Amino acid sequence: MPVPISQMWTVATYVLKQKLQGRKRYPFVLMLEPLFRCNLACAGCGKIQYPAHILKRELTPEECFKAVDECGTPMVSIPGGEPLMHSQIDKIVEGLVARKKYIYLCTNALLLKEKLHLFKPSKYLTFSVHVDGEREHHDFSVCREGGFDLAIDGVREALKRGFRVTTNTTLFDGADPNSVRAFFDEMMELGVEGMMLSPGYSYDKAPDQKHFLGRARTRRLFRAILSNRKSTWRFNQSPLFLEFLMGKRTYACTPWGMPTYNVFGWQKPCYLLQDGYADTFQELLATTAWENYGTESGNPKCANCMVHSGYEASAVDHTFSGLRGLWATAKAALTTKYEDPDALVMLNESAKPVHAFNPLVQINTNESKLEETRA
Amino acid sequence: MSSPTHAERTGSVNPALDPDKLEVAPGIAHETIEGWVPALATEEEIRVALEKAFDYRGDVTITLKDNSKIEGYIFDRVTGATLNSSFLRLLPKDSNQRIKISYADIAALAFSGRDPAAGKSWEAWVRKYWEKKTTGQGEASLQPDSLE
Repeated sequence: MPVPISQMWTVATYVLKQKLQGRKRYPFVLMLEPLFRCNLACAGCGKIQYPAHILKRELTPEECFKAVDECGTPMVSIPGGEPLMHSQIDKIVEGLVARKKYIYLCTNALLLKEKLHLFKPSKYLTFSVHVDGEREHHDFSVCREGGFDLAIDGVREALKRGFRVTTNTTLFDGADPNSVRAFFDEMMELGVEGMMLSPGYSYDKAPDQKHFLGRARTRRLFRAILSNRKSTWRFNQSPLFLEFLMGKRTYACTPWGMPTYNVFGWQKPCYLLQDGYADTFQELLATTAWENYGTESGNPKCANCMVHSGYEASAVDHTFSGLRGLWATAKAALTTKYEDPDALVMLNESAKPVHAFNPLVQINTNESKLEETRA
Repeated sequence: MSSPTHAERTGSVNPALDPDKLEVAPGIAHETIEGWVPALATEEEIRVALEKAFDYRGDVTITLKDNSKIEGYIFDRVTGATLNSSFLRLLPKDSNQRIKISYADIAALAFSGRDPAAGKSWEAWVRKYWEKKTTGQGEASLQPDSLE
C-alpha cells in the first residue's frame, strides 16, 4: 500500500467535510516555502531567482505554524528552495508533526544524509526526494553532475533509518519515456514508498524558457510512460490525476487547491504564478480574481500547465464529488495496467535526450538540434 | 481595486492558441532591463514601468517625491483607477520591514540590482556540460550565486 490507511482516512474525511459544508473553494495541500535559498541552480527552476537579501530570508517556525493553522489542510508540502538548508527545519517539522499534519518535505537530498539526525521517523513525515530520472538525466536536469548519487545515498540512509520516502520527478521536453520507465524500476527496487510525477511548468522567472512541455506533448509523453504499467510501480498520487496526464481525462484548474505561503505572504493565485500576495489566507481566497486563471481562462500563462498544484486537487475533488468519481478512482486503483498497444509503439520510436546534443560539434544537421520528445 | 491579470498584461489572448494542441509551451522573452532608468513623465509610463519592476527578478531603487530613496525587491502591486489608489509593496535590501508605496509618491525608478537569472540559459548550461565532457575536467555543475 503506497500511502498509510490513516493518511487516506484523514484526507478523505477532510475532503468530505468540506463538501458537506458546501465550501466552494477549499485548500487540499498547503505548499509551505520556508525559504527560497537552494544548493542547486537548475536552469528550469523559477523559484530561486531572487536577490541575495531575499534568498537569505527564512520563515520562522511560528510563521509556518500560523500559516498551517490558518489554512487548515491535513497535508503540508514543504518545498523551497531547499528546505534542509533552513536553519530551523527540524523545529518546523516537529511542530507540524505535533499538529498531526502529513508532511511531504521536498528535498534534492544533497544534504539528506547529514541532516537525517535532526528528524525522527513518523507516519506524518515523508521525505519527497527530487529525482528527475536515471543518473545522467537527473544530473543534466538539475545541472549538477554527481547529484543523483548523493540523492540516492540519502534515500538509502533514510529508508534504512525507517523514514517514509517518495520520489518526485519533473519531466521537461526531451524526456525519454523508456528511460523514465527504467527509472521507475530502479526506484521501486530501491524501496521507496511511491513516486510522484509532474510535467515541468514554464516559470516566468526561470533562466531556461525553451524546454517546457506543451499540453499535447505532455499527454503523449505520459501516455507512453504510464500505459502498459508494471505491477511493481507505485505512485503516490491521485490515480485520476495520472489519467489526466495521460490524456484520458480533462479537468479545470483548481488554483486554490494547493495554496502557497512563503516569505512574501500568501501567493496569488497558485504555486506557480506570482501575481501578487495576500497577508492572510482568507484575503487570498477573497481577493484573487480566480476566473482569470487556469487553462480554460485563456490566460497564456496557464496555457501549458498540467501541473499537480492546479490539477491534482481537481482530480481529488472529482473523486469525492459523487458515485461516478468514487467508482472511477476505485477502478483506476484496481486496474492499474492501462494496456495500450499504441503506447507501446510510441516506446519503440527513437528519442534522443536533450543532453545527447553536443553544441561543440560543428557539423549540425537539422536532426541534431535539441531533440523533441518523440513520444 | 484589482491587479491586472496576466492576460491583460501580455496583450490580448491569441485566439489561435489552442492549449491542447501545444507541443512546446512558449516561454517568456525577458527584456534586458538591468540598469534601465525609465522615464516616468506620464501616468501610462509610470504604470508600464512599475509593472516591469514587479516582474523584474532583481532589486530596484525607487526615489520618492520627498527625495528619499528605497532599494529593494517588489513582491506585490495592486493597481487602481488612479495613481493614488495604486500601490506596490517592497522588501527593502537592508531591513525586514515591508514597505507600501503609492504610485503617486514615486518620482523615479531604476532597475539597479543585478538580474539573477540573466545569462544562465539552458544553452549556456549545455555548452558548459559538453566542454567539461570533452576536456574531462571534473564534474559539470551550475553553482548557486554567492549570497555575500
